[in-house]
Amino acid sequence: MKFLNKIIWFYYREYKLNLSGFQDILTNIIFFFVSIFIFIFSIGPDKKMISPIGIGIIWTLLLLSSTLSLRKFYQDDFENGNLLIIHLNGFSFGFIAILKTLSHFLFVQLPFLFSIPIACILLNISSDKLINLLTSFAVGSLILSCLGSISSSMNLMNQRNFLLGSVIVMIFSVPVIIFSVGVINLEENFNSLINILFGILLIVFAINPWASGLCLKLSLENN
Amino acid sequence: MFLINPNKFNKVGDYLFKPLLILSIILFALGLLFSFYLSPDDYQQGSTVRIMYVHVPSAWLALLTYAIMTLYSILALAFRIPFGFIFNTAVAPIGAVFTLICIISGSLWGKPMWGTWWVWDARLTSVAILFIIYLTIIFMNLSFENRIVREKVVAIFILVGSVNLPIVKFSVDWWNTLHQPATISKLSKPSIDPSMLTPLIIMTIAFMMIGIAIAILRIKTEIISRKSNLS
Repeated sequence: MKFLNKIIWFYYREYKLNLSGFQDILTNIIFFFVSIFIFIFSIGPDKKMISPIGIGIIWTLLLLSSTLSLRKFYQDDFENGNLLIIHLNGFSFGFIAILKTLSHFLFVQLPFLFSIPIACILLNISSDKLINLLTSFAVGSLILSCLGSISSSMNLMNQRNFLLGSVIVMIFSVPVIIFSVGVINLEENFNSLINILFGILLIVFAINPWASGLCLKLSLENN
Repeated sequence: MFLINPNKFNKVGDYLFKPLLILSIILFALGLLFSFYLSPDDYQQGSTVRIMYVHVPSAWLALLTYAIMTLYSILALAFRIPFGFIFNTAVAPIGAVFTLICIISGSLWGKPMWGTWWVWDARLTSVAILFIIYLTIIFMNLSFENRIVREKVVAIFILVGSVNLPIVKFSVDWWNTLHQPATISKLSKPSIDPSMLTPLIIMTIAFMMIGIAIAILRIKTEIISRKSNLS
């Protein structure tokens, strides 16, 4: 019961932090929309041309804008020492990684779930595809959060080259992009492809606490 | 156990370096002679089939290098053998060069045969990702300041990135690709003629020898630089 209480307090703290930094999340969403505008300006406003590649554009930009918020993942807590305090309160490093991943999913990725329908209107995507897109995003964004956790914990001690974190996320998100765009474009085998996506999610969710917990421990020991 | 002990590796490496270098030069001369003059033309591809004798060995060695790096990362992380970290740092550029040779020779082969330098095919894309992973490992080695953190983080990254290896190997079986499926490394008898298999094997051994020779040189340099940093 005490442990559950601690988890609730952890999420309350995350909620407070994200509420005070709400403009960061809004900036992410604005980045998403502005890059859609840029895409349309560069391709041309032809509806026939936009609607087949619209889903690819949306997924690419979701990936790019979720890599923007990687710096917030562990870096702030690591620098002001809160990560150590959370660990001293009885959470193992792997468990911190799981909690942080879920909080990133809740507070950073879920706002995109509400902005996708607007993007679909802008890119002329039909409404039956929209449901598939939202389903695939709900699974895929959790995968992206796990990958973000791994790469940002790897780069805690990396002061020179922070862009490497985004590169790591993009390398490992290649299968996510392939299957989640395939989910929507091949509608007859939606179930089998979403199952593959779930399988990737389970693999990444199993690797995540081990890899990021080890990296967090290393960086805290050698800070 | 010279493969996990730096001091013994130094001694054995000293013995092995010159013979390996000489052997690789001889084998390269022999293999190039075989592949240019003593092997037949392909009935479909004509003389361009000779690109295979550079392309296939480098592709095999790119995969092999990554597999050995994965093994050493497991050794280093699980059994606390620091030689694995030295190996990872030293060998990553060699693997990157092999992958680059494979990609460039492949695209030179693809232009006359497929009519294009590059297609977005499963095998080609996964090899390109392998190349990017190698580059990321090199950049990670350059950009961390703390050595203890750096080597362990790189080892973890190598372990996570080894997911790509089976994808590269089996991409030709899982998807319908333009790249041909495996002809030699499969369970049944190789479907390649012995007159083409001989230069291929000679070239593979030559590539392997030169790779091991450069690896010995780089590992020795790495050991020396670590020793001088400590004292």
